[in-house]
Amino acid sequence: MPRLARFAALLGGLILSAPLLAQDIDPAGYGYPLENPFEATIATTPPELRPPLPTDEDIDQSDYSLKLRPEREFELPSNFWPVKTLRYRLARQDKPAPLIFIIAGTGAHYSNSTMEFLKKLFYGAGFHVVQLSSPSSWDFMAAASRFATPGLSTDDADDLYRVMQAVRAQHPKLPITEFYLTGYSLGGLHAAFVSQLDETRRSFNFKRVLLLNPPVNLYTSVTNLDRLVQTRVKGIDDDNTFYEVVLAKLTRYFQQRGYIDLNDALLYDFQQSRQRLSNEEMAMLIGTSFRFSSADIAFTSDLINRRGLITPTKYPIDEGTDLSPFFKRALQCDFDCYITEQLIPMWRARYDGGSLTQMVNQVSLYALEEYLKTSDKIAVMHNADDVILGPGDLGFLRRTLGDRLTLYPLGGHCGNLNYRVNTKAMLEYFRG
Amino acid sequence: MVRHCRFLAFALLFGHGLVMAETDEDGFKRPLDQLKINPALDQREFERATLQALNVYDPWDSWNRRVYHFNYRFDEWVFLPVVRGYEFVTPRFVRSGVSNFFGNLGDVPNLLNSLLQFKGKRAMQTTGRLLINTTIGVAGLWDPATRMGLPKQREDFGQTLGFYGVPDGPYLVLPILGPSNLRDTGGLVVDFTAESQINFLNVSEVSSDHPEILGLRVIDQRYTTNFRYGQVNSPFEYEKVRYVYTRARELQIAE
Repeated sequence: MPRLARFAALLGGLILSAPLLAQDIDPAGYGYPLENPFEATIATTPPELRPPLPTDEDIDQSDYSLKLRPEREFELPSNFWPVKTLRYRLARQDKPAPLIFIIAGTGAHYSNSTMEFLKKLFYGAGFHVVQLSSPSSWDFMAAASRFATPGLSTDDADDLYRVMQAVRAQHPKLPITEFYLTGYSLGGLHAAFVSQLDETRRSFNFKRVLLLNPPVNLYTSVTNLDRLVQTRVKGIDDDNTFYEVVLAKLTRYFQQRGYIDLNDALLYDFQQSRQRLSNEEMAMLIGTSFRFSSADIAFTSDLINRRGLITPTKYPIDEGTDLSPFFKRALQCDFDCYITEQLIPMWRARYDGGSLTQMVNQVSLYALEEYLKTSDKIAVMHNADDVILGPGDLGFLRRTLGDRLTLYPLGGHCGNLNYRVNTKAMLEYFRG
Repeated sequence: MVRHCRFLAFALLFGHGLVMAETDEDGFKRPLDQLKINPALDQREFERATLQALNVYDPWDSWNRRVYHFNYRFDEWVFLPVVRGYEFVTPRFVRSGVSNFFGNLGDVPNLLNSLLQFKGKRAMQTTGRLLINTTIGVAGLWDPATRMGLPKQREDFGQTLGFYGVPDGPYLVLPILGPSNLRDTGGLVVDFTAESQINFLNVSEVSSDHPEILGLRVIDQRYTTNFRYGQVNSPFEYEKVRYVYTRARELQIAE
């Protein structure tokens, strides 16, 4: 009998001490209709499966601007006038309410469609909402970033934290009960670093932090994105570039339909027509949009820091200057090129940095492993078919977060954010 | 149940052609493994395509860029504040009435240009729209035609010129009106002249005495246009807008 009791105690101890398992959403019951990760990434959720949202007219919102880096007024050329102050958007409730900060993804503006969607979702659930541009976006780099060389997550989080504090200071009368934080894609990674920073600076004491489809290893993610423009697309030859192949399909589709009608359902209808895009074409499209981001980052970082890699350092630029030659040069620079030519040299010069691997470990979620393990207020939602992940990334999240990781079987990169099942889970997490 | 069936239809349609990806021990599906990727990773198709796309004939580039910046400021400081005021003082049904009314006027040039391009079906549909919306829709304040399956189909004189093979000429940014090119600017003048000659519903004649009607039309135009400067959020917004405008016009002419 005592042996049995001892055995029971051992068994009980084993069960209790075993790591909590991630919440894997069962594919059969999930019901998300797009099984193709590329299609999901581009088209997101069909309109009838999205949650009900408040309309813009129901939302009390305005754009504000912050002057955080007054010296940039003089350092930046005059055609940068729209980004000499940092804009953000605040939607306010008419009564005391919790406030949520939303951080945008790679290169994204505070008012892009995903940000507007998240704003409506959280506003409808009773939050004040602040939308912030990504530290990797043109406006943030010019107006708020100290070094204007995004990619070092701790620096980016520091810049973001100053912005958040300035936002708070600009609205002293806004009745806020608690602070929450979220971000999607690269913004998710930033949210984790901001949350860690807040543990020491204590301006907000975030109650809960949710990372949506964050990169785990930043280098894996940007390598994946760089690879997407290397797919083999049929029909490309000397006379037809990739854009022409896609546009020709679109033209034929509209001709068969008889008229042009741009709306949310268009993408689904298009993908069911004979002109539907192949996986390679969709991958190329996704890759293209990220290449435009990397071109913007490379150009802006080089110009603000006067590195002379893309724009000659003394080149006179005003509102009439043709930027095409610099655009053409910046286009040749993918994320890997930006890291090699600008990020690593800056990191080595400023922080006495070492190898690429060391830097990758510092800027990825690995750097926060202990913090993520012990902080119950942080959760991650991710997809099993996300194109920014590599082998082993989900294993890291499972080990580190346990049951605070929710893994959806489908959705590509952020494609299921606006699916009703996901939005319900997001709101439930914040409501506690 | 119906919704369930729709799920199933969606799943079947989208699922076909895709090999169900197997998952590794972490549950990761390795989506990139499905792609045919150039093994040497030295394909320069993105660069080639984009460099070619940047080749838009734009000899008045410097002037255009200054006008673009002027328009950007005008939009921020005048246009959008006025539109916000308009949204504030009018209920939504009034605004949609205004949009429908001016939209109905716009169907006159749509009809003419459809005829000029021998697009018989489109001309019939637009005629149907004009008849229905002007009568049942009370001078165009409502748009019952769209609900009856006659969608609005824009055709302007720039498109007609393009249909007859007139090249688009230099890219041109018009003050306040935004991106255009020489051909489409000519088309705009023709459409405007035609409209005041036809004087449909007497609007053109009354507008000459009451400039506020023209003002309302301009505000409505901005109200119904979704574009916001800065939302592309790129130092190369000018180049991107230029490309999209040029390609969108080509698409409209081809269709």
